[in-house]
Amino acid sequence: MSVTMQDHWYPVALASGLRRSARDTLLLGRAIRVALDDGGAPVVTAEGRALPVQVKFGHVWTTLGVPAGDVFDIPEADQPGRRLVEVGSVKVRCSPLRAVENFLDIAHFPFVHTDVLGSEPHTEVERYEVEIRDDVDEVWATKVKFFQPQAARSAQGGITTEYMYRVPGPTCSVLYKTCPPRPGEWDVITLFVQPLTETTCEVWPWMALFDDDSTMTEMIHFQQLIFLQDRSILENQLPALLPLDPGREIPTRADMLSIAYRRWLKRHGYTFGAQLVAA
Amino acid sequence: MSSNWTPVALSQDVLPGMAIPAHLQDQDLVVWRSATGRIAAWHDRCPHRGMRLSHGFVRGEFLSCIYHGWRYGEDGQCRKIPAHPELAPPAAIKVPRFAVCESAGVVWVAPEGETSEPVDLPGFRGFRSVAVNAAADQVARDVAGQGHLGGCDVVMLVQPLPGGDCGLHVLVADGCADAQLDALSHAIEALRRRLEQGVAA
Repeated sequence: MSVTMQDHWYPVALASGLRRSARDTLLLGRAIRVALDDGGAPVVTAEGRALPVQVKFGHVWTTLGVPAGDVFDIPEADQPGRRLVEVGSVKVRCSPLRAVENFLDIAHFPFVHTDVLGSEPHTEVERYEVEIRDDVDEVWATKVKFFQPQAARSAQGGITTEYMYRVPGPTCSVLYKTCPPRPGEWDVITLFVQPLTETTCEVWPWMALFDDDSTMTEMIHFQQLIFLQDRSILENQLPALLPLDPGREIPTRADMLSIAYRRWLKRHGYTFGAQLVAA
Repeated sequence: MSSNWTPVALSQDVLPGMAIPAHLQDQDLVVWRSATGRIAAWHDRCPHRGMRLSHGFVRGEFLSCIYHGWRYGEDGQCRKIPAHPELAPPAAIKVPRFAVCESAGVVWVAPEGETSEPVDLPGFRGFRSVAVNAAADQVARDVAGQGHLGGCDVVMLVQPLPGGDCGLHVLVADGCADAQLDALSHAIEALRRRLEQGVAA
């Protein structure tokens, strides 16, 4: 039986942010309630029915269907010495799939995150490698390089940053990027997206960084600033749904990862938030 | 009056180097003016990733998308893709355009290929545009035949907007004194309030 979007795990709350009073929210268009039981463990229900729950990466995860396994792993995040940053959530009026695609995009850095993640005239995206890893059923991009004026809160001046991108689920992405204070290691930055409706989502960024100098507030603020810049794009794309069929939008070579992501979504029928017929 | 042309903005509200959103019926437009003063009205959508071009930026004679900096020339043709500076953009990457012209200080838009001229309004110039939270046909009925406002001779143009609102573009006769124009500003605000309350002007 094929796995549908219903069968995947989705973030629905920060575990540390749960209170006795329930959080009423949506998942794939359905009303759900996130609460704590008498023992202080998170409980998620849909119309009174208890849903599977896992707590991972500081978030409460649930699913409406039958998951094939646990929430995916990020082995690097377990390395000692990393600071785990719970950014919190940002609600965005866009398709959950558009939010992920934007996270996988490098070429917008000089124009959307000007003088932070990119700057003119350093706009070129060199060829990188993209593959769909069939053994784990994930989309990967490697050998992505980009010049950045201030790659992270901990970066001093401009550097060429190397990136790897990983899509372990239809609305989740993990980014590995050069770690300024620790050459040889990768900072881990994730975008966990809770699909509310086909055109609204709640985005939960989470990070596992080597950074001994910045305060937690500074790291959260840096990521918030970046994501709010992205939001001004995401809420102004037409159509709101992500087109999976060619014709409605014209990609270029820098978009190889976005092309692979769209193909992978279409192949699996992960179409909540997608537009299928070229308009 | 030629019905093919729609007033979408006042010329004075689109300065050189500016891009603004506008509407032609249900179609979203970007109206922008180049550094040398050329006006253009296009689909408000970059063909690359669907971003609204009205959020973009003008440099010289080009409009660029804010998302990835794709740069478009006056013919709507993509001229540069910053991610691939050496690449000549394919001819297929083109933003659909509308016919546009300026007269009486008003930016007029029509479907591409329109050959007629917009209505001639000699002696008047665009003074103020306001958005009115009322239906265009209702507002048009209310202001029909009204040639005076706040002590000035005026022409009022009503533009339907998506969502049932409308734009009211007020043109004033040449030669009004500053004090008259100040009074006209107040009168336009008062008129808008009346229109939104459904009371005939």
